[in-house]
Amino acid sequence: MRPVYVLGVGAHPWGKFPDKPQLQLAIEALTAAIADAGVGWRDLEGLVAASSRFEGGMGWGLHANEVMQAVAETGAPAINVGGGCAAGGIAVHTAASMVASGECEVIAALGAERMPKGFIPRPPGIPDDITDTDFLRWVAVGATNPAYWALEARRRMHDFGTTAETFAMASVLMHQNAVGNPLARYRTACTVDDVLRSPTVSDPLHLLEICAVSDGAAAVVLGSEAQARRLGGPLVQVAGSAIATGQFGDPAVRIPTVSMNADTSVQHTSEVGGAVSAALAAAGMGTSDVDLLEMADNSAWHVLAWPEQFGFLEPGQADWMIEHGELGIEGKLPINPSGGFLSFGEATTAQGVLQVCELTWQLRQQAQGRQVPGAKVGLSAVLGLGANGASVVLKA
Amino acid sequence: MAVIEDPVTEQVPVAEDLFRVTADGAALVGTRCTGCGTHYFPKSLSCRNPRCEAKAVEQVDLGRSGRLYSYTVQAYRPPALFRTDSWAPYAIGLVELPEGLRVLAMLVGSELSDLRIEMPLELAVHVLYRDDQGRDVVTYAYAPPAGGGAS
Repeated sequence: MRPVYVLGVGAHPWGKFPDKPQLQLAIEALTAAIADAGVGWRDLEGLVAASSRFEGGMGWGLHANEVMQAVAETGAPAINVGGGCAAGGIAVHTAASMVASGECEVIAALGAERMPKGFIPRPPGIPDDITDTDFLRWVAVGATNPAYWALEARRRMHDFGTTAETFAMASVLMHQNAVGNPLARYRTACTVDDVLRSPTVSDPLHLLEICAVSDGAAAVVLGSEAQARRLGGPLVQVAGSAIATGQFGDPAVRIPTVSMNADTSVQHTSEVGGAVSAALAAAGMGTSDVDLLEMADNSAWHVLAWPEQFGFLEPGQADWMIEHGELGIEGKLPINPSGGFLSFGEATTAQGVLQVCELTWQLRQQAQGRQVPGAKVGLSAVLGLGANGASVVLKA
Repeated sequence: MAVIEDPVTEQVPVAEDLFRVTADGAALVGTRCTGCGTHYFPKSLSCRNPRCEAKAVEQVDLGRSGRLYSYTVQAYRPPALFRTDSWAPYAIGLVELPEGLRVLAMLVGSELSDLRIEMPLELAVHVLYRDDQGRDVVTYAYAPPAGGGAS
């Protein structure tokens, strides 16, 4: 296996774009990434796209094919990868693997999404019976996604004494970080009082402590060391990347199930934890080598719990860290300097690619308005339906 | 002799094979692996334990009682798939069962302010709505034990 480098990154801003088809968001993000890399469409020896179930892809998840047919019919391979909300991370990992193996000199990974409003509907054609837990969680329990995160949050309050104010501080931090990020959808700073006064969604979580759904698109161009040196940009290496699935006994309250075989000896959210550990191992690094995290913060609970679950902090330590500013951009372990899902809203399959874009800007010291001082190593972590996890480690 | 109509409204479960009411009260319908003994809810096609080679499961009743592992109060009405005649914010619990499972369920029969992690619970049947044939559509839920449940 040979080293892999980030040649270019690009993203469309997050928001709601009723007048822009998904394909257009995809093309704009990929065009920006290609321009950033300094390559042309003809230089791409492959395109890996995250398959979305919401729009585009000719109904078969063929999002890479659709982009190539629209913009550049070069005959290069199109690879479409599924993974729910982790598909973007899986796309980056797949593209990196194709460079590492020597199959491609230059390749792009893409995630572009336009989300339906409000609650995510069940896919068509699924049977209304006990074989579909997504059916059961609605009809038998009425469990929304925030209810799953709230069950974790309530338990954390019991286990560690986390307070409503501390959860609110996680939301305040994400919104504060986004003030400096023109790609974010929600860029207004808020206070702990604002968060606690926002409507309760699923107690103990308030509206400002859960992520919205958004439209957005992001792309990365990866290549060999020879290509990276030829293009002459700042060298950012994909030091490691990995994908994983969940392990039996994982105690996480996994959406959309209605039961779990909880075994406390198994890692919580093991699909993501497994990917993070494998990505670090591939990079030959440990958690202490990482300068910043870009991770899926579907709720305020995630901001506190995930860094602990994946070994960056001790269990319960995140409360003290956030209360003392140590998870902020100037802190010991900056979490989501981009502003995270709480400030972007989740454009599901695009999210894992955007994380890698943000890490790249951070390691190039180009993250104007939100730069982590001296950032050299960044790690991404994303979770998707079907117990999919993906993680990418970048090194400057 | 006049026929007296059954005064008890017919009940139908919100999904077939999810739970049943026996002489001993309500029970969840699940499976148990005949090889490693792991329980599953709802019924599973196979055993998911990667260390188990048996992969043969049999149907069992489970979840008659448990303890509250965590809970939330859902303040917004879920989308229309969740149908209820009497909407009000309600509690959803994660209930730890002696069979080694944690199960997601509505919590009933308790004031929201009285919910406590670790409180004992018993399985109950809860009426969600009356359907267009006049039947009560019911789901499984957990409630504090009738006797107060000191333990």
